[in-house]
Amino acid sequence: MSTGTEPETEPEAELTEPGSETDEAALESLLGERAIARDDHLNAPGFVINPNDVQSVLSDLRDEAGYDHLSCVTAQQYEDRYESIYHMKKFADPTDEVSIVVPTTVDNPVSQSAEPVFRTADWHEREAYDLVGVEYEDHPDLRRILLPETWQGHPLSKDYDQEKPQLVTLTEHQNPIQPDHRDAESDTMFLNIGPHHPATHGVLHVKTVLDGETVADVEPDIGYLHRCEEQMCEQGTYRHQIMPYPDRWDYVSAGLLNEWAYARAIEDLADIEVPEYAQIIRTMGSELCRIASHMLALGTFALDVYGEFTATFMYTFRDREVIQDILEDLTGQRMMFNYFRVGGVAWDLPEPREEFFEQTREFLNELPTKVGEYNDLITGNEIFQTRCIDTGVLETEVAKDYGCTGPVARGSGVDYDLRRDDPYGYYEQLDWDVITRDGCDNYARVLCRMEEVEESAKIIEQCLDLLEDWPEDERDVQANVPRTLKPDAGTEIYRAVEGAKGELGIYIRSDGSDKPGRFKIRSPCFSNLQALEEMSEGEYIPDLIASLGSLDIVLGEVDR
Amino acid sequence: MSGATASPFPLQNGGDPVLLPEHITELTGLGQFGLAGELLATFVAAFIVGNLILAMTGVAGPWAKRKITASFTDRIAVNHLGPGGIGIIIADSVRLLAKENIIPENVDRPAYDLAPIVIAGSAMLGFAVIPMGSGIHLADPEVGLAFVFAVAGIASIGLVMAGYASGNKYSLLGGLRAVAQNVAYEIPLVVTGMSVVLFAGSLQMSEIVAVQNETTLFTIPGLEWAVPAWFALVNPFAFVLFLIANFAEVGRNPFDMPEAPAELIAGYQTEYSSVYFVLVYLGEFLHIFLGGAIIATIFLGGPAGPGPDELGIFWFILKIWGVFFLTQWLRSAVPRVRIDQLIEIGWKGLLVLSFANLGLTAAIVGVIA
Amino acid sequence: MIGVLKSMATTMKHALDGSTFTVEYPTAAPDVSPRFRGVHKFSQERCIWCRQCENVCPNDTIQIVMDDKRNGEQYNLHIGQCIYCRLCEEVCPVDAILLTQNFEFTGDTKHDLVYNKEQLKSVPWYKDIDPLESREPDRGAWIGEGDGEVDYQ
Repeated sequence: MSTGTEPETEPEAELTEPGSETDEAALESLLGERAIARDDHLNAPGFVINPNDVQSVLSDLRDEAGYDHLSCVTAQQYEDRYESIYHMKKFADPTDEVSIVVPTTVDNPVSQSAEPVFRTADWHEREAYDLVGVEYEDHPDLRRILLPETWQGHPLSKDYDQEKPQLVTLTEHQNPIQPDHRDAESDTMFLNIGPHHPATHGVLHVKTVLDGETVADVEPDIGYLHRCEEQMCEQGTYRHQIMPYPDRWDYVSAGLLNEWAYARAIEDLADIEVPEYAQIIRTMGSELCRIASHMLALGTFALDVYGEFTATFMYTFRDREVIQDILEDLTGQRMMFNYFRVGGVAWDLPEPREEFFEQTREFLNELPTKVGEYNDLITGNEIFQTRCIDTGVLETEVAKDYGCTGPVARGSGVDYDLRRDDPYGYYEQLDWDVITRDGCDNYARVLCRMEEVEESAKIIEQCLDLLEDWPEDERDVQANVPRTLKPDAGTEIYRAVEGAKGELGIYIRSDGSDKPGRFKIRSPCFSNLQALEEMSEGEYIPDLIASLGSLDIVLGEVDR
Repeated sequence: MSGATASPFPLQNGGDPVLLPEHITELTGLGQFGLAGELLATFVAAFIVGNLILAMTGVAGPWAKRKITASFTDRIAVNHLGPGGIGIIIADSVRLLAKENIIPENVDRPAYDLAPIVIAGSAMLGFAVIPMGSGIHLADPEVGLAFVFAVAGIASIGLVMAGYASGNKYSLLGGLRAVAQNVAYEIPLVVTGMSVVLFAGSLQMSEIVAVQNETTLFTIPGLEWAVPAWFALVNPFAFVLFLIANFAEVGRNPFDMPEAPAELIAGYQTEYSSVYFVLVYLGEFLHIFLGGAIIATIFLGGPAGPGPDELGIFWFILKIWGVFFLTQWLRSAVPRVRIDQLIEIGWKGLLVLSFANLGLTAAIVGVIA
Repeated sequence: MIGVLKSMATTMKHALDGSTFTVEYPTAAPDVSPRFRGVHKFSQERCIWCRQCENVCPNDTIQIVMDDKRNGEQYNLHIGQCIYCRLCEEVCPVDAILLTQNFEFTGDTKHDLVYNKEQLKSVPWYKDIDPLESREPDRGAWIGEGDGEVDYQ
């Protein structure tokens, strides 16, 4: 690269000054001729490039400019073109973003694949191919991912006929299970783990090839729980109708965290200022959700390692139950909260407030004892340690390559937490730490979650103090938001929050109406699950099960 | 249950123990019918013992398992039908028996049908030679201990049959694990059992029990309690080894590899439903209880305990339940080890330790003798 | 080994303290938070047929049929399809529809869960809690209207 020398120093300058704006001039010179136009998004500068330059641009951005996190790939169709957007960030500073926009013609939607540069692009591009119909050259395995292999057409493309029946004869489409895996020469055994299997945490199908008890090959097959969440959001109004749905992505008690992802995106898109008081309530509620979610992760992981309904599982569920009671008092529902509103929250704390504070504090006071108990019960147990230490290893660089985020990445030593690195809500004003572990194994991920529970408790504690002392006449729970939101046509934004499982991002393109033109969900579980292959090949079946458990996937979020 | 109160006869009066069939012959006068009468008496005795065991494992076992697990996990468990909810077992059995027995297409028929019977039956055989106190003792061959180990080992064949014949990959994996595990743990189990035989100088069950209760290990000063020389107290090391090997042998946590719910769905029993499932499930319980019975007999003094000899069966059952309780306790708290770790513990750990124990015991017994 | 014993001690502690966390439903009616969103209750007398609830409903659960003079004829709500987001209650200017705490409802088929306005009217309050009071204390409560008995209309 002719411009190679200059940007070389650039990432370091960025590092010393986190939170600084993207250096657009440096990027322009790095991309040079390859940037054929600009297409800025609200969150990041956007560069339009040719479909043939994807790999060279992305590898330059990663190697020269330090954009080492391919956060999301969004594909969409306009009247005159298809478009793939690569949302790129830095793990060191996620506020430093850049979007690479790759348009292709409608007649020939072929674009170069980013998979050779970022492993994570594999599934993201498959999804784009599946739902929108962009084809990626060089992609090692461009198949459908969410929809069945026999699906006809690409549902998010403009020419898709909703009325067309999906039942087609085998002459029109080859039977996908026709090829027989039997091979007389081979010593391996093909095993379907799932879609109905006690350890897959939902309807996940893991195609496994076994050599004895050793896992020779793993391929997760997802999509059984695909409910068209993106499309449903595209058909809802910004103001009201989208908010109930995020609860149903990561449906195991992480509802408020998901709602915040949408809330953050739309509030930035429509330029809405959220009252501070509402932000504190949001922060508190979200952290309660995080604890509940981590409790569930811990319990189900124990289930995978212990087998059957053992004590750990019940204890974690009991503790989660307490949180759900608190959340029920706050939001009105135990899991499907629908508590956030655009510009705030639905309600103030429940009356009598003292009772709510007391109830929550009681939970927080008991938490250290319970965490101690879990340490005695689980992490201190030698058999548990022999099962978990050095199994399911996910090296730091590999984790980054796969776009892993959340406790999975932090357990692999990636110091990345959007609550701190890309502050939103009230996190910046509070005193808490980001937990990272260098173990890179199942044990590190478990410890990471358990310690995060304690950090969340710290945050809640501080929020409670703030809420208690908040002057009564300044308790605004909602900003003044117009009844109908119609952001300017063509504005695009990608915003992410730290969900329970990692970076939960939302991309919205406004088409000038009161409903999104394109709504894309960047699911942390989706990216994390990709790494399963890396983690479990060459290990034993029990390790595969444990690794799957430690990824803490929720199929509702993977499949959306 | 009638067996528990059936006999007021002491277990032992110096010489050979009086066995249950002989009692029955005496009581009913069946002796005059010669061999036929003796056979009938034996059958009746076996019927009594069999029902006692089945009542314990089939009714009380599953109920207790649910209750114990519940108390470990802060729950209530069954509480609607009958006292403490024990009636649920009847309801459950009706439910299970009324279900359709689904037999998959690719099963290997005779083996698939036989496996549940082998699994349940092998454990039942073992109880034949166990002295349960209060005169309940079916047979007392000179090779009693060897017999128990032998019939308990038959279960592995049942597991493999079930695993292989089911035509299911998970079942197959479970069956293979069962073999690997049983081979690895049977040897330490038997070798540790042999150290007991060295102490007792006999393989006969009644003799092993008698030796433990004849000698006094020490007397607790002040209380004048004579602590009998139960082998668990004489050689706690062997006791622990035997316990661990036993958990592996019966496939309980942390060694529940053949089933491994969550990994292998339900291992070898994945494809079994209805009556067959009941048999397999019963077989598991029988094996846990047989394991408990063996431990009670060779390490915990069999039916011995404070009070009159008539209470023997009470103490014996109590000891079995103690072992059962321990399995449930472990199940609540201990993770499952991985199959390779299990094999490693078996071959590199327990086997070596059990031989060390055997050698040491032999040396000590030799010196004392 | 110490760790294993420690974990065993932990579960034993739980077994011995005897406390349970089970809610013995249906023997004991569980406590439901005042804000809980259960089955809807509809008041035809209050309704001004503005159709805002039908409009805001994210998944078209509410169906309103009016005659040509804009008089309401039918108000159907599929309580099995409803996602209980409470948006209909939130937009209603006259509190004609609100979500009670009642979570107990059954139907033999999913069609039984399509409630018309009569069925919606007769949905009982759960433990006589008026949800409006807890949600917005300054708004008039339904449950207090009329004398004595819970008088809905």
